[in-house]
Amino acid sequence: MSEPGAARGTSGPPSRREWPEQAIGIASPLLFLVAWEAASATGLLRPQFFPRPTLILGHALDLALDGSLGRHAGITTARVAAAFALALVPGVAVGLAMGISRRVRDGLDPLFAVTYPIPSVLFLPLFSFVLGPAEAALVATSAMTSFFLVAYTTMTGVQQMDRTVLEAAAHFGARGRTLFAKVLLPGAMPFIFTGMRLGLGYALIVVIAVEMASAQRGLGALLWLSWGLLKVEDMYAALVAIALLGGGLLWMLGRFRRRLVPWLPDVAGG
Amino acid sequence: MGVLVPVIVLTAWEAAVWLGLMSARYFPPPTVIAATFAHLIAGGVLWKEALVTLARLAAAFLLAAGPAVALGLAMGLWRPVRSAVEPYVALLYPLPKIALLPLLLIVLGVGEAAFVVTGAITAFFQIVLSTAGGVQSLDPRLIEVGRNYGARGVGLFRKIILPGALPAIFTGLRLGLGLALITVIVVEFVAAKSGLGHLVFRSWQMLLTAEMFAAFALIGLIGLALTRGLRLLQQRALAWTPPERELT
Repeated sequence: MSEPGAARGTSGPPSRREWPEQAIGIASPLLFLVAWEAASATGLLRPQFFPRPTLILGHALDLALDGSLGRHAGITTARVAAAFALALVPGVAVGLAMGISRRVRDGLDPLFAVTYPIPSVLFLPLFSFVLGPAEAALVATSAMTSFFLVAYTTMTGVQQMDRTVLEAAAHFGARGRTLFAKVLLPGAMPFIFTGMRLGLGYALIVVIAVEMASAQRGLGALLWLSWGLLKVEDMYAALVAIALLGGGLLWMLGRFRRRLVPWLPDVAGG
Repeated sequence: MGVLVPVIVLTAWEAAVWLGLMSARYFPPPTVIAATFAHLIAGGVLWKEALVTLARLAAAFLLAAGPAVALGLAMGLWRPVRSAVEPYVALLYPLPKIALLPLLLIVLGVGEAAFVVTGAITAFFQIVLSTAGGVQSLDPRLIEVGRNYGARGVGLFRKIILPGALPAIFTGLRLGLGLALITVIVVEFVAAKSGLGHLVFRSWQMLLTAEMFAAFALIGLIGLALTRGLRLLQQRALAWTPPERELT
């Protein structure tokens, strides 16, 4: 039975089909890890560069226990949170403005169009000129792409709203703030949420990139500096921590999603 | 209106520097930047670095595109493939691909290969996801109709599935290219000794701010041209599809 259209079509009772697939889903990475372990232990893979996964895990746990990994992770997380918050509020505000007013959109669009394609990291010099070469510049840099993403998705969210819904609400007496809070905002919320998801993801990406480029602390810095010193096990530990952080942030946002847009069905990646 | 705002911004910037409100060392006036830009273009420096970046981009994209589309199609068509690959996708999805750079530098040595492969991985991911999604979200009725007319296997694939998924594949390729460009530039900023990203870093370190801004401008222009240009190309090539809701 082919899969095209599976996302939309109805397929039979899921339980009987799913568990062999779940088994493959678990077996596949497990096999990979086992193969890696064996290859590294027998020297097929150079253990200096590819330590056995069990060793990596052990080392990561060591670092976690002695607090250093936690410290770096905490710093990175704080930066991501700050960057995300910095991007979110202005992003939604500007997005709403651009969605509602054509003037605003026409005015800002060219500005955004030229700035958006530039990778956020490159703004680090600019922000460090204005804000000094410390945390503020780092956070501001990390917020840039997220800001654009939130603004654009919010704007799209407003634009795609069915005008008749707005008219109907106005007909029933909703004005100004009520119209905004009870109709416009919830209507645009699914898109705003997508913007939040993308924005959070990019905030993490840029924070890591900036940390790799110029920080002394944080997971990105740990990753880069341990590479520089060829402390390979530290490097892998940082990599694992970053992946876990990314996954954790996504998961948290998923939980939040149910509170923000409870009426949307649970869609993977939605 | 669209042109007005940038003009106002640039004029205000120019004025601010002349009035002493902004430091010319950190924020050279736009006229100086433009002059530097022209100078660097004429001297060939900007071209040289731009070509390096674009070459890496092309290599990364070409490396990723074929295999990614193939894997995406396989994932969309056959459930076992999807089940086997999905855990890796889920694990790698939240990981900033740039974090793989040090690992690649170890495996491939410090050089072009690592830079290109990092960009390729980013593009690969995007293209696989878009392609697989495209196949999976085909209207099942299209397939039913195809089957009713006797299409099977390869025929079904060539005539129904592939064209049906083509818009999503194109979008994936387009997004992948854009992401690859960003990744390559970031990699250059962090680790390379050539390319536009490195140029920005170098000018920053030497406080040659006019050059830095000139590099910015070129990067912005290239990125803009690439994304908008490709989108137009897609609309022309796939004229039969309804226009997409675009994000940017």
